Amino acid sequence: MTTRDLVLVALFAAIMVVLGLLPPITLGFIPVPITAQSLGPMLAGCILGARRGFLSMLLFLLLVAIGLPVLSGGRGGFAVLAGPTGGYIVGWAFGALVCGLIAQRLVREGQNEIAQIAAFVAAAFAGGVVVVYLFGLVWLSYATGNAFLPAVAASAAFLPGDLIKVGIAALAGRAVLAGYPLLPQRA
Amino acid sequence: MLNGLDIEGTSPLHRMPVRGKLIVLFTAAIGLFFLSDLRLLLPALGLAAAVFLSTGIGLAEAVRRTRFVLFTVLLVAAANYVIVSPHEAAVVLCRLSILVLLAAAITATTGISAFMDEIARLAAPLERLGLVRAADISLAVGLVIRFVPEILARYHDIAEAHRARGLPLRPLTALVPLIILTLKDADTIALAIDARGFRRH
Repeated sequence: MTTRDLVLVALFAAIMVVLGLLPPITLGFIPVPITAQSLGPMLAGCILGARRGFLSMLLFLLLVAIGLPVLSGGRGGFAVLAGPTGGYIVGWAFGALVCGLIAQRLVREGQNEIAQIAAFVAAAFAGGVVVVYLFGLVWLSYATGNAFLPAVAASAAFLPGDLIKVGIAALAGRAVLAGYPLLPQRA
Repeated sequence: MLNGLDIEGTSPLHRMPVRGKLIVLFTAAIGLFFLSDLRLLLPALGLAAAVFLSTGIGLAEAVRRTRFVLFTVLLVAAANYVIVSPHEAAVVLCRLSILVLLAAAITATTGISAFMDEIARLAAPLERLGLVRAADISLAVGLVIRFVPEILARYHDIAEAHRARGLPLRPLTALVPLIILTLKDADTIALAIDARGFRRH
């Protein structure tokens, strides 16, 4: 792994920490303030690509595990990972991986802007929502035992906020691609 | 700026080696879900709470750290109460609470450097396979801790720039410059690391 890649991975994990320190965003039409941190995996995949995005989220998971208060609200440590929402945090790493894989495959430098944004939306949704929710719900179902469907129903409440984040991540990914391209282009 | 969640102390849990604590947590994570007997789970819950408080953390801090997670546990148990049965709700509540309290106790009694040493030991077989270097992991963790304050300061600069222009601070207009400016530093930082020979093997 080149030193530059290592630094990019570490810097993105640091950005993820800062996302947790930002105050929750209140958008006009959604009454619940949404935290910026779950934007991280989608941004990591869209901007750094699959491998570095995965490693940066894995590094972040490590920081949580060793007891640094890097989750939004100053939380951290094994307690959060052992709790019902622990799966989502592990899912962030694999979400970034899938998001990056799709972004790398679909996004090309010469494409028009709309096509690029559409590709990023697909990548961010597949990785940041589908994969993350999958991991989250698997651990949640293990933890709850029988009551799995209410867990799915409860997770649906977070979907509108997460769909907005998909949009933000796609637009941000496209803007960063235009400003400082880092996404590996692979067929 | 980023201080670990571990606390000073000399309790038995503090003196236990990291690997032992991780094994205990892992065993609990699996073993607890085979237990459904409240006559075992309720005393175990009391024991877990006692273990957590024995670390010397104090009741106020203990509550402050775990209240959010325990609240989600309560919600999950409530769902079980409605959908399944009161007995199942109690069982789920006990299992998850025990796991959370044990996990919190381990986090409170294990320092970051102890964790990093253990990670270096655990990464040794992966190192032989050529997949990862333990030194790289420590370097990466160190880099994150070092650069978080700088990135946060950069965010505040961007927020101030918005204010100076009379623009509302939107996620998109704040995050894009933050990410680009931060990642542009990567080359300089990588050069500095290589110049110091940190990754010389």
